[in-house]
Amino acid sequence: MAIPLAYNFRSLFVRKATTIATALGVGLVVFVLAASMMLSNGIRETMVSSGSPANALILRKGSDTELASSIENKFFSVVQAAPGVKRDGDGQPLSTGDVVVVVALDRLASGPGQVSNVLVRGVMDNVFKLRPQVKLVQGRPAKPGTDEAIIGKGLLGGYGGLTLGGTFELKKNRAVNVVGVFEAGGSSYESEVWVNIDTLRASFGRDGLFSSITVQLDDPNKYEAFATVVESDKQLGLESFREREYYDKQSEGTSMVISTLGGITAVLFSVGAMIGAMITMYGSVALRSREIGTLRALGFSRFSILVAFLLESTALAALGGLAGTLVSLVCTFFKFSTMNYNTWQEVSFTFRASPGVMGFALAAGCVMGVVGGFLPALRAAYTSPVDAMRA
Amino acid sequence: MQLSSLATRNVLRNRFRTIATALGVAVAILAFVLLRTVVSAWTEGAEYAAKDRLGTRHKVSFILSLPLRYVAEVEQIPGVKRSMGASWFGAKHPTREQEFFATIAVQSKAFFEVYDEIQVPEAQRAAWMENRKGAIVGRVLAKKFGWNVGDRVKLRGTIYPGDWDFEISGIYDSQRRSVDLASFFFHYDYLNDSVPARRKDQIGWIASRIDSSDKAAQISKQIDEKFDERDIQTLSMSEKALNNSFMGMFAAVLGAMDLVSIVILLIMMLILGNTVAMGVRERTHEYGVLRAIGFLPRHLASFVLGEAAAIGALGGGLGLLLSYPVVEKGLGRFLEENMSGFFPVFRIDTSTTIQAFVFATLLGLIAAAIPAYRTSKLNVIDALRRVG
Amino acid sequence: MTDEKKTGTGTNGSKMIEVRNVTKSFVRGKETLEVLKGLDLDVPEGSFDALMGPSGSGKSTLLNLIAGLDQPSSGKVVVGGSEPASMSDSARAQWRARNVGFVFQTFNMMPVLTALENVELPLLLTKLPSKERKQRAQIALRVVGLEDRMHHYPNQLSGGQEQRVAIARAIVSDPKIIVADEPTGDLDRKSADEILDLLQRLNREQNKTIIMVTHDPSAAERATVIHRLDKGALAQN
Repeated sequence: MAIPLAYNFRSLFVRKATTIATALGVGLVVFVLAASMMLSNGIRETMVSSGSPANALILRKGSDTELASSIENKFFSVVQAAPGVKRDGDGQPLSTGDVVVVVALDRLASGPGQVSNVLVRGVMDNVFKLRPQVKLVQGRPAKPGTDEAIIGKGLLGGYGGLTLGGTFELKKNRAVNVVGVFEAGGSSYESEVWVNIDTLRASFGRDGLFSSITVQLDDPNKYEAFATVVESDKQLGLESFREREYYDKQSEGTSMVISTLGGITAVLFSVGAMIGAMITMYGSVALRSREIGTLRALGFSRFSILVAFLLESTALAALGGLAGTLVSLVCTFFKFSTMNYNTWQEVSFTFRASPGVMGFALAAGCVMGVVGGFLPALRAAYTSPVDAMRA
Repeated sequence: MQLSSLATRNVLRNRFRTIATALGVAVAILAFVLLRTVVSAWTEGAEYAAKDRLGTRHKVSFILSLPLRYVAEVEQIPGVKRSMGASWFGAKHPTREQEFFATIAVQSKAFFEVYDEIQVPEAQRAAWMENRKGAIVGRVLAKKFGWNVGDRVKLRGTIYPGDWDFEISGIYDSQRRSVDLASFFFHYDYLNDSVPARRKDQIGWIASRIDSSDKAAQISKQIDEKFDERDIQTLSMSEKALNNSFMGMFAAVLGAMDLVSIVILLIMMLILGNTVAMGVRERTHEYGVLRAIGFLPRHLASFVLGEAAAIGALGGGLGLLLSYPVVEKGLGRFLEENMSGFFPVFRIDTSTTIQAFVFATLLGLIAAAIPAYRTSKLNVIDALRRVG
Repeated sequence: MTDEKKTGTGTNGSKMIEVRNVTKSFVRGKETLEVLKGLDLDVPEGSFDALMGPSGSGKSTLLNLIAGLDQPSSGKVVVGGSEPASMSDSARAQWRARNVGFVFQTFNMMPVLTALENVELPLLLTKLPSKERKQRAQIALRVVGLEDRMHHYPNQLSGGQEQRVAIARAIVSDPKIIVADEPTGDLDRKSADEILDLLQRLNREQNKTIIMVTHDPSAAERATVIHRLDKGALAQN
């Protein structure tokens, strides 16, 4: 026969302070675990959502990143003509080219004289057709052919000159006016400044060059055909990526560092929390040895006692885990900016909660309760009814 | 036996619980030391960076180049002892492309004067000067790829596409702690001769040795003022300031680590406090007896505090004992070899060790504060009445 | 007052303990319980007194007042010429350390200390140097006949032996009175007898004034005087 759950549940509340302390310990561990998973998620999602599944990104062969890539103008039409490129209503191929640079701007959050690298993307007028997730939320779009720029909302307030109406310099005496702010579905574009491509080319001496070419495909499944054609021509010296995969790779390093660090810390913490749970449960068992002896004398099996105490420690841990998980949701309100060291730009990330993360964190908490409470539960189960009565 | 040792004797009461608690504290200390060492190793670059060396780069973006002639002009500025142009080459190992390392083209004649902490045996240095395609590589890098002096290596260029041939002329080392021993330096002339006309005579940045680190800010300003009127303006600052800027971009990560360090300490306090509270609860009757025979409330409180501090210190010591093999030997070696750009030196700081031990003991005291207070306020009769 | 006096035992003129018109009330929630009601008691020096009575009669409360662990709601308690109720908490603690020896039902040894160290405990509150403390503790253990076990831990001793160590602890600072609350309650017949023999010996040979609360009539028989309490008053004959 099973020991009534009510017994276990109520026993938890007899020693409130100890219960709370142990649950808190588990809660803290779960919080750190959930937060680091959410951040890692956030980094991946931020980068990946910059890529559209229907788009292909072309770089110069051997360059890992847009920043290092350089493609001559004349290859643009060749890429456009490759098989599988979607055409718009006017029969024009959906393709655009970017020039990507990083610019040193004053980092307002640090002390004076501290600069940070902000990614500036020179775009063609048709860029929005290939990146429909980009939407203007303040101000107006930059007028074609002018020294106007729009900035991603992740940059607002972080850097000198990057405000609606502000200015910064791309080249000496060539000021750029910020006329609009855009959002981009939480992707890394929100940490970028977009200017007219020719303005950027002129300022950086990149006339006749692109950093990358982006095309939209008719059928994402026919990507291989497109890629083969583009890459096979040795004269072009180009490499193609699915846009999603490219961005995924960009985030790999940073995301991995965060999740590794978070993982190691969480593992170490959880050992601590489990030890804490174990100590508490041992204490509880010792205190209630007379009770347990009585239960045994009444006829409850060793197994039912084992289960009962395991349930108790798991419930205790679950309580803490639930609290930790819920509190971790607060993180989603915060921005987290760090350097993406693939591209040396500072990118703003958010904490992305997902049912998977929450579930895992909660489960981890419960596991801590089971593991930590196992030995004490065993001790309880092996209490001899006679000894206990004598205590 | 003294009054003071009574507290510590009590830890022997429930040996299992004491050891389990000390273990919990030890694990927390291990995590703490790990995190603090990551932070300190990471920021150490900034700490040990040269204050008497300046970096000058394009004002707008580090990806834009400066004209080569700027180097000589910077050297003219009063206070500048020697200037050297350098360019980021950005090449990869042909077969081990994922393993990143720094490749830099430098004006070799000025190299050893500007970077005097880089040590290369005289013979190798001379050989390098003679060999147009020669390169000197850091000790850690050489070990990683199994390169020896005299080896021919091929690197795959990214910014400068194609396959580039080099010969290892020498292997460098350094006495200075924070020097990255995994870099690859070769002659700027080799690069400059091989690029198309429009990319010639350009330099990524200029490193300058100045005669006094106090004048770093002043000389930086002078350099920038000199080029202010030109089309290509500069941004100069000391190497230390550069590192600080760099670290600034990671401010959030560092901040998060600090936060997590605090969380660790909290967890530690909870474990300790829990154990102390359980012990106190068990001994209520005994405390009553002690009060009866004449011990004062403050004596009892000190027993509780002393016991907590003892367990904390025990756990702290245990944790530190664990930290050395795990953090320094284990993780440290790995990071020094594979991420030496970020962690050229991964050693546990003395201050981290002291902090860890002090925190463990101190937090024991803090965690025991409330139980100790409660114990001192015990009503003797009630305590005596309690059984067991 | 029912005092059954045994003849020929050490009663002399001076009063060690004087209880005058003492009442003690406790407040429990909204009710006030009067546990002791206007009690008078005299205990001469060198007397071995037993306090008996049904549970709730107030005998332990009376013992606590005499021992200086609690203070009367009204009335006076004078022990060895001092009035503990009039002292500050810390002065009272010090007074107890010097003047009162405690023997409890549950022996109350500190498990992490040896017998010798346990007996030494009260002396830690004095300014005696370590060597002298150890000597005195050893002597006390000799008196109770456990010198050969002085380095044993409580878990290595039997119940009776533990209680004897407790008695050694009670006498080590040469107190004026020994207060014993059910000293034989947790012991088997044989050990109980040994303890009572010891107490009697301390009373007769060293003229120790002993107040003992007990349920056990055969324990009470060992005393010089038996007081019976009922509902907070010493029963009148």
